[in-house]
Parts: sequence; C-alpha cells; structure tokens
Amino acid sequence: MINVENLTKKFNAITAVEDISFNIGESEIFAFLGPNGAGKTTTIRMLSTLIQPTSGEITIDGRTPSEGGEHIRSIIGLLTESPGMYEKISAFDNLNYYASFYNISREKKNDNIKKYLKMFGLWERKDDIAGTYSKGMKQKLALARALIHEPKILFLDEPTAGLDPESAHMVRGFIESLKKEKTTVFLCTHNLQEASSLSDRVCIIKRKIIRIASLEELRGDNQNKKIEIIFKEDALRYSKLLENIEGVKVLEINKNIASLIVENPFNTNPIILRKILDNGIDIVYFNEIKATLEDIYLDLIKDEEAK
Amino acid sequence: MKNSLVIFKKEIKEVIRNKNIWLPVLIITVVFSIALPVLFIAGSGALLDDGDTIDFVNKIFGEIGDPLEALLGFVLKQLLIFLLLIPAMVPSLIAPASIIMEKENNTLEPLLATPLKTSEILMGKSLTALVPTFVISTINFILLTIVVDITAYIKLGYAPLPTLEWAVVAFVLSPILAFIITMVSIIVSAKSTDIRSAQGIGGAVIIPIYLIIGLQVAGFFLLNILYLLIGSLVLLAVCPLMLRLAVKIFDRENILTKWKMNR
Repeated sequence: MINVENLTKKFNAITAVEDISFNIGESEIFAFLGPNGAGKTTTIRMLSTLIQPTSGEITIDGRTPSEGGEHIRSIIGLLTESPGMYEKISAFDNLNYYASFYNISREKKNDNIKKYLKMFGLWERKDDIAGTYSKGMKQKLALARALIHEPKILFLDEPTAGLDPESAHMVRGFIESLKKEKTTVFLCTHNLQEASSLSDRVCIIKRKIIRIASLEELRGDNQNKKIEIIFKEDALRYSKLLENIEGVKVLEINKNIASLIVENPFNTNPIILRKILDNGIDIVYFNEIKATLEDIYLDLIKDEEAK
Repeated sequence: MKNSLVIFKKEIKEVIRNKNIWLPVLIITVVFSIALPVLFIAGSGALLDDGDTIDFVNKIFGEIGDPLEALLGFVLKQLLIFLLLIPAMVPSLIAPASIIMEKENNTLEPLLATPLKTSEILMGKSLTALVPTFVISTINFILLTIVVDITAYIKLGYAPLPTLEWAVVAFVLSPILAFIITMVSIIVSAKSTDIRSAQGIGGAVIIPIYLIIGLQVAGFFLLNILYLLIGSLVLLAVCPLMLRLAVKIFDRENILTKWKMNR
C-alpha cells in the first residue's frame, strides 16, 4: 500500500529525513517512533503529498505524489499533531465542510458524520460550536474528520494525546478495529505502550531509520534476557550459587526475589534450574521478564547516539 | 470551482458574523455616501458666499458660468475617490482574517490534506474577499448616486450623477483595486501570524488615495476620464503579477514550511 525508497528531505542546510526506505502493507498498523525532531512529521507530510521529497520515491496505492497527488489525498485521512477545528461553527458543520471535498454522496456524507460523531460520543453535542469543546472532545472530532471519507490509509500523529484514559482506551480499540476494515494505519506516537499493543511493526527513526521490525523480532534481537526467580526463602542465601553460573551477567537480590540478566538464555537457563534443583532449593516462580518496547527503544536510541 | 464555492460559502458566513469587518464599512458608507454629500449640497449656497471659496473655484476651473455646478462636480470627484476606500479596505479586512484564522486554529494542514487543489483554496479565499467588496462598493456607489441626485434635485434643480467618470471608478477601477488588495493581503498574511498587522496593509493602501485627493485639492491636477482610464490600465497590468506572486506563495509546501504558523 505504501512504498518508500531512499527518501530524503532537506530544508536548506538541515536534513530532516535521510535515506529512509520501508513498505507498509494493506491493513497493517505501522508504528513510527522517534524522539522530537526525528523527522516523523516531515515523513507524514511527504507521504500525505503536502511537501515534496528532496530525493527518493514514494508510491501510495500505486501512484506517486507528483502524478497522483489528488488521488492519494482522496484515500488518506490525516490526524495532525495539533489538530484544529473551525471554532465558530458547529461540530456537524466542521465535518460537513471537510466531507464536501471528497467524492462521496450527500447521503453517505450525512451517514458518516452521524456514525463517527456517535462512535466518539459527540452526537448529542453535534450542534454546539467547536470552540466550546474540551481538548479531548476536539481530539475526537479531529479523528472523526480524518475518518469522514473512510480512508484506505490513516496517518495518525499522537492520536490519544490529550485524551482521558477512558477515551484513549476507546480510540485504541477503534484503531485496532480498523484492521478488520482493511485500513492501513501509520501511527506516530510517543506512547510506547500504545505502539506495542497496537502495531504489527515498529519503525524507530532518528533522521535515519534505526530499525524496522515486529515487537517479537525486536525482543529477539536482544541476546541478554532478564529472568526473575522467586525463592521460598531469602534469595541472598543463594547469591553465590547464582553468581558462579557461567552466563549470568548481572544479579540483583531483593528479599526472596533474584533478578538476573543472562547471556544466551537457551543454554544458561537450564543450567540455572538444574543447579537450583540439585541443591534442593525450593523456588516459587521462574519467569522470563520480557523487554518492553520502551526498554528496546531506549537502548536503540542510546546506541544510535553513541555512534 | 465547486470546491472553491464550498470554501466561499463557509467563509462568507463567518465574514457576515464578524463585526470588526462590518463596523468600519458602515462608518465609511454613512460618512462618504450619505452625510458628506447631503451636508455639502444642502450648504452649497452658503459656501459661495465665502470669498475664499470663489477664489479657489476660479483657481481650479478658471472663469466659468456656474461656480456652484463646477464646485459640486469637483466635490463629487473627491467623493468618488473617497469611495475607493471600500475596495482598498474591505479585502484587507477579510482576507487576512480568513487566512490567519486558519493558522491560529491549525486548520490549514487538515484542509491541505484533502483532495483540494491549492488553486481552489486560493480562489475560495479570494472570492470571500472580492464578492463582499464588489457588493459593498456597488451599494455605496448606487447610494451615493441616489443621495446626491435627490439632494441636488431638491436644492439645485438637477441630478448630476451618474457620470462616465463615476462608471469607470465604480465598475473598472474599484474591482481592479479590490483584486490587487486581495492578492496583497494574501501575500502579507502568509508572513504574519497577527491579524491586525496583516490588516494594516489596508491602511498603507489608503495613503496613495489620500495623496490623490490632496493633490487635487491643492490644484496640481484634476482627475478626468483620461487619468482614470490610464490609472485603471496601469493597475490592470499589475494584476497578473500580483496573482502570480500569490499563487507562488499559496503553495502547499510553502504554506507548511515557510508560512509563519502558530504551534
């Protein structure tokens, strides 16, 4: 659905995005992560045909922005980082105005306005002017605007920013449901929990792409696994035993819990378990603590900065 | 064109609700199209009792048969030029409000992400400034004609308007000026985040109009149909240049990366 090859964008002497390439398939949720100023918004703007790349190729739904800009814009929905609404007209009129620019019938337009306002709990206040809406309501209205023409591709820049936990949960559920409707979602977020729960693949960018992979692949990258052993008795008694096992890199003890970072867990973990059992030590739990996306993201960004 | 009309329809509703636009227009209409002509014509007899006025008329027009008719014709020329304040002022009030509000509300980027062509947005915004200007200008010129003719007929026994100069100012010079000011306002709005500073362009454009009036009063020249047509042609030649510049500035990438935006 989206193909990007060697994309670069320069603003005079500043390179905002350098030589990035990726493909995104139909109904994929693709999380685009990076620190502030990493080039996320610039990339979204290039993909939305709002700005032109300095070099490189973009193909969306088989068209390039230069020859099919209008077609591309007709099949995408964009939720910007700072979504604004016309403050002096009603929520209904705001959606009706934007929907007028798409090739959809009046009936479909009205149905969609009703559908999305109801979905986001705004139907009862459809005639209120948008200026009276709270920040969260405006965010939901902006999301409804991005969806009003049922786009094939949705670019979401911080979709849950400013939303209360309940609304954020609802929006995440909605984004997940878009997969069933074969909508491709390009998700920019600083909320790594959100990215890990929603996305099929993650792209970490800092001007250049640092890594593109699924969360499982990213976890697999990490050869050092963290495990946690909960003993029946004080774990301090067994610290020497654990420290001496080859492959145990870091050991932390807290009451009856021992946290270990082990090298090559496929070989090391059976040795640890055998040692514990051979010594007749009672354990309650032996868990692998999976690295979170946040851990992986911070490691990758740190590595990139160290280069 | 359909999309431009959608933009125009939405924008014009906001213009109608905006008192900051209507109030100055109303003041100009009352002062220059109603109060000044009525006061001048009603008090014209007394004016000619003053020796200085007679000297002024003789200086400007030379020896003429009816000084009152000559003086009325002279004042009407000034009023017509004053009415150019409408096409100078109205677009400079509407266009910046329309564009800078989009920046203030962060609505430009979502609008640019629709299938709209930038030319359609530019046309929609331009129509929002041009249509009310043309309507208000025409109403003012018609109002001035009615007020002058009725008052002059009652007081002096004849109706001096419309004249050929009147028609050129109302239907040639005024729309050309409105177009130029609209384009200038769009260009200035791109570089500004503050409505008032962008609207200040109207104030700057009014200065040459006052200059023309001042030079006429000082006796340097008297506007006639030839001068008006030459002025119209010169301004008409400027129109494509202003349009080209506005189109260049009103480009998606320029709007998003070079325009001063609220963040």
